[in-house]
Amino acid sequence: MENTIEVKGMRKVFGQNAAIKHVSFNVKRGEIFGLLGPSGSGKTTTIKILTGELGQTTGDVKVLGIDSNRFGTADFKARIGILSDNSSLYERLTVYDNLKLFCRLYNAPLAHIDDMLREVNLEDERSKTVSKLSKGMKQRVLLAKALMHKPDLVFLDEPTSALDPGNAAQIHRGLQKLNEAGTTIFITTHNMEEATVLCDRVAFLHNGELQELDSPNVLRYKYSTHAFHVETFAGDKLVIENERGNADQIRDLIASGQVKTMHTDNPTLGQIFLKVTGKELV
Amino acid sequence: MNIQRISAIFEKDIKDFMKNMMLLTMPIIPVVLALIYDRMGDGEELPLMLIYLIVGVTFSAVTASCMMTMMAEENEKKTLRGLILSPASFFDIIIGKSLVTGLITMISLAVSLMIIGIEPFLNVQAIIGLILLFLFFLLLGIGIGLFSKSIAATSAYLMPVMFLFGFTPIIYSLGLNEGGMTIAIAETFPIMKAVEAHDNNSWSSIGIIALWVVGAALFMYICFKKTATDD
Repeated sequence: MENTIEVKGMRKVFGQNAAIKHVSFNVKRGEIFGLLGPSGSGKTTTIKILTGELGQTTGDVKVLGIDSNRFGTADFKARIGILSDNSSLYERLTVYDNLKLFCRLYNAPLAHIDDMLREVNLEDERSKTVSKLSKGMKQRVLLAKALMHKPDLVFLDEPTSALDPGNAAQIHRGLQKLNEAGTTIFITTHNMEEATVLCDRVAFLHNGELQELDSPNVLRYKYSTHAFHVETFAGDKLVIENERGNADQIRDLIASGQVKTMHTDNPTLGQIFLKVTGKELV
Repeated sequence: MNIQRISAIFEKDIKDFMKNMMLLTMPIIPVVLALIYDRMGDGEELPLMLIYLIVGVTFSAVTASCMMTMMAEENEKKTLRGLILSPASFFDIIIGKSLVTGLITMISLAVSLMIIGIEPFLNVQAIIGLILLFLFFLLLGIGIGLFSKSIAATSAYLMPVMFLFGFTPIIYSLGLNEGGMTIAIAETFPIMKAVEAHDNNSWSSIGIIALWVVGAALFMYICFKKTATDD
């Protein structure tokens, strides 16, 4: 499959500090790729390099087949959408006027505004001044702004961090729909559930280095102990290793009707991150 | 350059401008000053220095000040980054943002000059001088707006701009030695060169104002490039 993002030996140094240390990865076309890491791990720096807001110190970076020294071109900018901590809205203008500005800058049809407002569940707020919106509503307007021109590739930096679970779920459905239509999504998040639900592959970034990169299911299998966790009606909690010799014990427990719950060990992405890096993903 | 993008930024800015009380009151200052000077003149023609003081106040208090505030607000609220990351080019953004200020300046200057009498400005050098002065203050305003990072900080920069470049003709009323260094330096400033061009139909003075414009353009370009990326 064709790569939408190609990063080889990317390094970014600020003064004496290396924020990104020789990072390499590819993002396939049509993929939802999650970059996970705690604050200060280099996620935002990575997004800034991939969107042309920062230049890498060394290494090769290609996005949508375009080399990083051409990220300033209108053609490149028209093909990407960005929602980052640098994204902002004009507070004195209405939601509609904010989106209209960006629709015209990206040469997108104005009809997209109402489509996007429906997607982010803000149809009733279209004439409201942005300063009167809640933080979560502003985040949804920013998301609409990032997606309105139907970009080939979207960068989302913590897209649902300010949203309640209901709105976050709606945004997830919208992103999945967008992805099904062919848009590649590059997302950074602290939310492990979000990463598990949305991402085809995730990468763990810690201290500017990639520690792991694979699909959430493969990672969960890789870091699973493969043991069975059994809870009996008597309240006993047993951990039975997934070995041929333990088959009789499991069969006996089931046959005697003692098993209340039984499941394999499936670590969450957060637990895997802790195991790999020794740091909590917060 | 893309006309649709320029007009989109212009349309956004005009809506934003109409809701910004601080910016809305700025164009009134030169008009009030023109009314006061006109009453003081007792029907007599005002000295050229006083007329250019009103021009200086218009360009510093309206052009430079509005531009500074608008750019600093875009910078402070991070909305400028949204424009920079969009397909709009450097020229689309700068021209789109300058159009509102240009329009307001034109209205404010035209009303002020009509109050004190527009006839003295009906010659080529005076008109070219006014256009170059407008560009100088506009580019200086954009540069300082980008440089100052917050609206609050612009007020600290606005005062020196107003007194140095806008109110330069006042220097003659300070009782300084006519042949002294201060007056000699002040006479190289854009407003003074515009007065000279107007008075003597001098093209060399127009050339010196053009150099000030080039300097302001360079300053603005450097500030824009620094703002465009996080490097």
